[in-house]
Amino acid sequence: MQKRLQTPKPLSAIQSYGLAVLSVSVALGGALVLEHYDFRGVEFPIFLFAIAITVWYAHMQAAVLAIVLGALAFNYFFTEPLHTLYVTRSELPYYFIFVLFASLLTWFTAVRRRVELELLRARDELEREVAERTQQASLLDLSHDSISVRGMDDVITFWNRGAEELYGWKGGEVVGKITTHHLLQTVFPAPLEDINAELLSTGRWEGEIEHTKADGSRVTVTSRWSLRRDEQGEAAAILETNNDTTERNRREHEIRTLNQQLGKRTTELETINKELEAFAYSVSHDLRAPLRHMVGFTELLKKHAASLLDDKSQRYVTIILESASRMGNLIDDLLAFSRIGRAETHMTMLSLQHLVQEAVAEVGQDAGGRNIVWRVGKLPDWHGDRSMLRLALVNLISNAAKFTQTRPQAEIEIACMDQKQDQVVVSIRDNGVGFDMKYANKLFGVFQRLHRPEEFEGTGIGLATVQRIVHRHGGRVWAESLVDKGATFFFSLSKSRESDL
Amino acid sequence: MSTLGRILIVEDDPNDVELTLTALDEYKLANEVVVTRDGEEALDYLYCRGNFKTRSNDNPAVLLLDLKLPKRDGLEVLQQIKSDEKLKMIPVVVLTSSHEEKDVVASYKLGVNAYVVKPVDFHEFVNAVKELGVFWALINESPPGSMKKN
Repeated sequence: MQKRLQTPKPLSAIQSYGLAVLSVSVALGGALVLEHYDFRGVEFPIFLFAIAITVWYAHMQAAVLAIVLGALAFNYFFTEPLHTLYVTRSELPYYFIFVLFASLLTWFTAVRRRVELELLRARDELEREVAERTQQASLLDLSHDSISVRGMDDVITFWNRGAEELYGWKGGEVVGKITTHHLLQTVFPAPLEDINAELLSTGRWEGEIEHTKADGSRVTVTSRWSLRRDEQGEAAAILETNNDTTERNRREHEIRTLNQQLGKRTTELETINKELEAFAYSVSHDLRAPLRHMVGFTELLKKHAASLLDDKSQRYVTIILESASRMGNLIDDLLAFSRIGRAETHMTMLSLQHLVQEAVAEVGQDAGGRNIVWRVGKLPDWHGDRSMLRLALVNLISNAAKFTQTRPQAEIEIACMDQKQDQVVVSIRDNGVGFDMKYANKLFGVFQRLHRPEEFEGTGIGLATVQRIVHRHGGRVWAESLVDKGATFFFSLSKSRESDL
Repeated sequence: MSTLGRILIVEDDPNDVELTLTALDEYKLANEVVVTRDGEEALDYLYCRGNFKTRSNDNPAVLLLDLKLPKRDGLEVLQQIKSDEKLKMIPVVVLTSSHEEKDVVASYKLGVNAYVVKPVDFHEFVNAVKELGVFWALINESPPGSMKKN
């Protein structure tokens, strides 16, 4: 900011009177010295000068004091008779002229001084206002929105940085040179006359308009116009704030399209799901009935023809029955597996501890008189679908029981391996026959088995079911094992979030 | 043996009919069994119309109802029975191959008295049918209007 004259601070009372005394004393001294060197008649202007200085820098009262002191000194030292306060008749006009002159000088100077002070104040005020306005204008420049002002003739009078950035023209290129609508090739949503009519009647207008940028590309903006009126109430200017909504509109369009696609996909999936359900239903009903007949009539055959069948035939009959029974189990397991994929999950808080105890009790009962040592660690409460998690635990624990059946003493341990804020890991460890880790990736596939049926029975769906359940709880399942050294199965559950399966 | 109620079987599959009758016969429960082969025929029997115009006007002690039937299916038959003042007291047991939860729920909502899934295993099947026969035709006190035979 440029250096400028400050309004002088008024002197204090002591300083003012002091200045009066000092300036008169200096004038007196100076006049005496000059008189001594025979310069006559200079005392008059010297005293006036001293009074002028006093009145310029100090206030009126000090000036009056200076006049009085000056008049006394002038009278004492420079009017006949010298060195008395007596004024002779002939000197009286001279003396009066001095006092009158001094008073007039004081009055003029005081007036001029006051005017000058007022001017200074006015200038300061003006500068302050200009600074404030400049700052406000620079604030408008900071706005991301495009802000422009145009007169009623539509010629641009203000163009902020947001407008420069949005449209690509600098303020200097457009201000005062071109009309807004011509520059931006505005496409209005309604006739311009209607828009202007609304602007004039309400003072504002808002709508979506299309503009063309400097590079020729089109842009859609939400435009807000405000009318400024002058002191007489006449329309003076229009402030236009524009907000680029091209990208937003494009995204909205994209979201709408994606939503439509998603809706279509969902409908397709729902249809497929329904077909699957119908399929499962027909498997459950139609496939089981002939199987039941096979079993039923084979049993009846066995009974009725017992005396006619030789040993070999008897064995064939038995194999037919066993196979049919296996097929029955397969159908049941497959149905259970497909049901887990289809069923809604009912998430609640549940005690994993209780669930494991229930599963252990169920498996223990099926295992009959076997010698199994159970170790169940402390397990937390967790969020999940009770019946699904129970099925997963029963599958894993009955697996452990199955693959330890060749051991004189089976040991099965269920524990919580790791618990974090949003995840828990449960392990089921056994001392059974284990498996070769190179087949670990096959463990969880449907119908995948790592043992021959005569070694360990099973349909190969149990672990696939476990995996599906765990996935629906946003977790994963894995296993570690060494052949003949037992196996450990782990599964994790995450907190209250269903994965996208 | 005390009084034996009449059992009405509604079953379209001849093999299932034969197996069921065999199972009942093993326990001498087959004497008073009537078999109808679809929902329409079952209702004809209950309303004494069509082929059953001339039968004595009494209700069976129990109705063993398959769900998947030609013409009118089991759930429709069940709904008709349970919404008819004269028939609603007849105990109805759904005997079906379907494990489906929606079938179970629909049956109970319509007021079925029991829901039994036919076991694949023959011995279990025989046992189930026998127990049903013994319970509903023999042990259970039938509602008034049912036919009983000493």
